[in-house]
Amino acid sequence: MKTTLKLLGVTTLCALMASASHAKVTVLGWPGGPEETALRAAASMYNERADVAEEDKVDLLFTSRDGFFDKLQVDLAAGSTAFDANLLATYSIGKYAPFMEPISLSDEAGAVFGGTVLETMKFDGAQYGVPTDLSLHFLYYRTGLVNALLADDIAKARYTKIALEYLGEALEPKSPEEWTWQDFVANALYFTQSINPDSPTRYGTVIQAKNLLFNMMVFHSWPRSYGADWMDAEGNITVDSEAYRAALSMANLLFKLGATPPDSTSYEYAEANAAYSAGQVAAMVQWNAAAGDLTGAQPDTGTFAPPSGPEGRFTHIHGLGLGLNAAATNKDGAIKFLRWMSTEEAAIAYAVAGGSPGLAAETAAKLSDDRPDLVQSGEYASTYGFVMNGGTSGNALSVYEAQAKEFTGFWAGTQDLDTALGNATEAMTELLK
Amino acid sequence: MAKRYKLENAVLASPTTFFLLVILGFPVILSLVYGFSETSFETLRSPEFSGLNNFHKVTTDGTFWQAVWFSFRFGSITAILECALGLALAVYLAPLTQKNGWIVAVLIIPMIVAPAMMGLMYRLVLNEFAGPIPYYLYNWLGWSPAFLSPQNVFTTVVLAETFQWTPFAFLLFLTAYRSIPQEMREAATVDGTRPWRLFWKLELPLMMPTVFIAAFIRFIDGFRVFDNIYTLVGAGPGGSTTSMSIYIYETFLRRGEIGKSMAAAILLFAAAFILLSFAQRLMRRTFR
Repeated sequence: MKTTLKLLGVTTLCALMASASHAKVTVLGWPGGPEETALRAAASMYNERADVAEEDKVDLLFTSRDGFFDKLQVDLAAGSTAFDANLLATYSIGKYAPFMEPISLSDEAGAVFGGTVLETMKFDGAQYGVPTDLSLHFLYYRTGLVNALLADDIAKARYTKIALEYLGEALEPKSPEEWTWQDFVANALYFTQSINPDSPTRYGTVIQAKNLLFNMMVFHSWPRSYGADWMDAEGNITVDSEAYRAALSMANLLFKLGATPPDSTSYEYAEANAAYSAGQVAAMVQWNAAAGDLTGAQPDTGTFAPPSGPEGRFTHIHGLGLGLNAAATNKDGAIKFLRWMSTEEAAIAYAVAGGSPGLAAETAAKLSDDRPDLVQSGEYASTYGFVMNGGTSGNALSVYEAQAKEFTGFWAGTQDLDTALGNATEAMTELLK
Repeated sequence: MAKRYKLENAVLASPTTFFLLVILGFPVILSLVYGFSETSFETLRSPEFSGLNNFHKVTTDGTFWQAVWFSFRFGSITAILECALGLALAVYLAPLTQKNGWIVAVLIIPMIVAPAMMGLMYRLVLNEFAGPIPYYLYNWLGWSPAFLSPQNVFTTVVLAETFQWTPFAFLLFLTAYRSIPQEMREAATVDGTRPWRLFWKLELPLMMPTVFIAAFIRFIDGFRVFDNIYTLVGAGPGGSTTSMSIYIYETFLRRGEIGKSMAAAILLFAAAFILLSFAQRLMRRTFR
């Protein structure tokens, strides 16, 4: 008995000493997928550095993606000391900011990421996080279908006839790099079998329109290219605008005419990708993260930034990043790690391991062999990227929620446009006051 | 002696009472506090008393009434369908299930699946591009209904719920049907009663208490539905598939309006309590 107790005591002591001497900075990361793999690689590289003290070595913590941000919200609000640094996202910085502390990045951060990307981790002018992954939207299209259309005069004439009939304009087919949203809609109508029985695809496009906040982000680039914003400089809510009306109405036309699957009001990322991958959709706007899957399923897939509008070409961007927990037990160690994560060395290691940091052109060029896709996303982010005025506020997520509820209701035909925009204005006025 | 028993009872019941107070009592008290306070995630530890403000917000929120109506419709329709189908199956299959117990085991399989899993399963099965049902319908008929379109989504979620929980009603009715003394049936048959009349005049009246309980349980379950609908279609376009539970969840975690969601939960609890008392009284009167 005595021996057993001694053994137990020694084992416990060893375990305590081992954990005490191992990791002192706990980082809560985005679980699963390339983000986790990349963070593991970067943390491993950091821990191997000679200038990192034993008590500042990094240990990673991963939970589950399901309800991640809800759980994080509760943990932070409760002053959890289970982690020193944690994941944050552009649209939730304002929500977490009261429980986090601003950080200072390395001197090279501006050159590594560029101003637009660093902006995605700011709230009230303060830098709350170091950007790790950047999300934006691409226009995905089937090059084979577009090229066949452009090479066939009879098809072109039919395209123009359809555009004239449904859009009131005799549009001609163009290369997707030149598409406006009008062209996007015309193309979607042309490639819809219920409108053009000869179409090789069942639907011209797919709009993921489930009542889900992330779907509003995908839709965002459309009204923005017509000049939309959430608020003006004085803080007045400007969602009930001609820009939003134009974009919402054009998207609604696609639902009405069956150019997007009829149950796409229940679609999110996976369902929309399934539609495209099945070869039944000609073009769609989707997250850059889908590039691998969509190109794998339809090898003739081409990508470009979303179509343009009267005010230009835009793509919604938001970033994932790592920030400092105000209740951290090893703040100094966490600050050192976060500062290192903003260096070129860390960003490149992260990207090579599969992460998708938004990099400035010069840094991305150094990865052109390993990660050519980062060159494209970096270019689009810096050229077309935008964040709505209020997009990092404390209630930004709730604003997306409110818009998702109202706009999907309009597309599903449960309410008219005036009601949808009126309700959205009312909700946003309350949320962004 | 009686005093000793009383003391013993109190001592023996105290662990359970303590457990219930901690597990149920604490959240109830917390809900009450938050329901009458202005609270957010930032002020969880310092809620400010705001009287009936949250209740006013809830009762003037159109989405809340939309959720109440959805839950009521969903709960009523599914309870009626499940009980009707369960009763028909129990009576029709009674001779078969008497001899082959495995039929019952097969019929209750849907009930064993977790509702959230059921929602995910339908999300895959009914998908136009990946699901087997639309695939075969397109192949055979050249057409498939859009099961989750705004026009069809309510019917789809009702059918999914009915498919999963009819076995529950079936099991209750089968037990009730089997418990009817065989002599009564034989006596009625000897008197020349035909099978249909036997069912209406003898078997159904004897099974009515079970039918009532089954319908009530299924209504309550349908009214508070959450997981299968949430994993299948979420809150629905324009909130069209928002049940009371989904409303409370979204208000709390998605919009961070803790006081308002607690007020809605309290109203739901009060409504359920009133309904339960009413049903109990009705049952006592009817089946005394």
